[in-house]
Amino acid sequence: MIPFIQARNITLVFSPKNREPVTALSDFSLEVGKGEFVSIVGPSGCGKSSFLNILLGLIKPDSGEIQLNGAPITGPGQERAMVFQEFGLLPWRTVTANVELGLELKGIAPARRAERATELIKLVGLKDFASHYPHELSGGMKQRVGLARALATNPEVLLMDEPFAALDAQTRDLMQMELLQIWEHTKKTVLFVTHSIEEAAYLSDRVIVMTARPGRTKDILKIALPRPRDYEMRLTPEFNEIKLRIWEVLKEELTSGGQT
Amino acid sequence: MTANGYFTEHRRLWLGLCSFFFLVTAWELVLTYIFPVNPFFFTKPSLIAAAFKEQLQGAKLWHDLAVSSQAFLWGFSFAVIVGIPVGLVMGWRRRVEYSLDPFLTALYASPLVALAPLFIIVFGVGVLGKAALVFLLAVFPFVFNAFAGVKSTDLLLINVIRSYGGSEKDLYLKVILPSTMPYIIAGARLAIGRGLVGIIVGEFYAASEGIGFAITQAGDTYRLPDMFVGIIILSLIAVGLTELMRKLELTVAPWRASDEVR
Repeated sequence: MIPFIQARNITLVFSPKNREPVTALSDFSLEVGKGEFVSIVGPSGCGKSSFLNILLGLIKPDSGEIQLNGAPITGPGQERAMVFQEFGLLPWRTVTANVELGLELKGIAPARRAERATELIKLVGLKDFASHYPHELSGGMKQRVGLARALATNPEVLLMDEPFAALDAQTRDLMQMELLQIWEHTKKTVLFVTHSIEEAAYLSDRVIVMTARPGRTKDILKIALPRPRDYEMRLTPEFNEIKLRIWEVLKEELTSGGQT
Repeated sequence: MTANGYFTEHRRLWLGLCSFFFLVTAWELVLTYIFPVNPFFFTKPSLIAAAFKEQLQGAKLWHDLAVSSQAFLWGFSFAVIVGIPVGLVMGWRRRVEYSLDPFLTALYASPLVALAPLFIIVFGVGVLGKAALVFLLAVFPFVFNAFAGVKSTDLLLINVIRSYGGSEKDLYLKVILPSTMPYIIAGARLAIGRGLVGIIVGEFYAASEGIGFAITQAGDTYRLPDMFVGIIILSLIAVGLTELMRKLELTVAPWRASDEVR
């Protein structure tokens, strides 16, 4: 049987003007099952964000195959939505109008859009801020809007590109817990790129550790912790052991790649 | 709130008003008591005020204003309709940018009023000639500011629209245009000043009515207070329209209100 998401031998080369071409991904392969929560960690510049953009359909790999549910990905599509690190909210739109964006671009009728937006704004806990503008919200609230917008189109795959990296530590912890709750009851397939070992270990079913550039799969670690997971679980010896295992795999790449 | 607090809060307004009244009073006193110049060669605020009152009651001023406004509105509207789309497409499409750039840069930098006689010859003495001149002067701020606005559009937002399958039209309407609006309005502020120059220069060259004509006519016949009335009315219009644009900027770009530079 073909896995839900299958990437095979993906190579991606950037050729900036007047500079040496950079190989971001080289022979990168990945399989993700339906409903699975997979994190990708790796040194800066290893191409993990680029891989999400390939999955999203915004960039085309130079070689290799990428399939979703057995069909090749050729461009953006209904079944995938991204949560961006810098939120990517339209500053001239209210929270509601931002959440409606994806539905609007898909030509959904205004009444249905509004209904769906209200539902998701409630889900992410922003009911009282529906008519606020992004500049009136805190970072955590902005990312809740980003999450609501991505979920509004009801995608099968949620792509998350370091979504909590711009948030302070406590907001981050809170958002991780809420993301897990939302994931547990929506059962989306999630691909989550992060720099944080702890975040990857806490959220994921599997953690993919990538090599320094050009990015390749270095190791895949299965996180066999029971679910639902709570914050207290992060204080257990088992959890620390998992973090240590990820760290040991990642460590060599951080030092050998010359990246910080 | 204490009186002191009130003045601190509104000091911008109060200091501005004070310096204005100080200047007017000084002007009046100097010309009355220190250099009592023949009113034929120079004038003072009290005489201007009298002329102002007289003109407001007459019909000619209103007629001149109507004539000039008509030409201004036509020229300015076309500058908006042509300038914004050209600037947007130039900013978004590199090939269009490279093709139009040399031509537009040269025209923007040149003193275009030098073309006024040509425009009057080609388009005639009436509304059309003046409107064409207003258009020529007012269109460039729209083009260049729309262009600069597009260049500063956040690429992340473009990617967001694309990731939801948005078309080229969606990119223009949902991201590029709204994010460029503050730039366009700043351009409109420049364009208002330039457009008014267009009207006045057009009417200086060849006209038999209009506010610019009224100013030259008053000057030619040594009616200095009447000339000042025309000039003051022009300034008031310019200030009014510019303030309107500032308000508009805060309405279309509320997220920029917080980082508004004083």
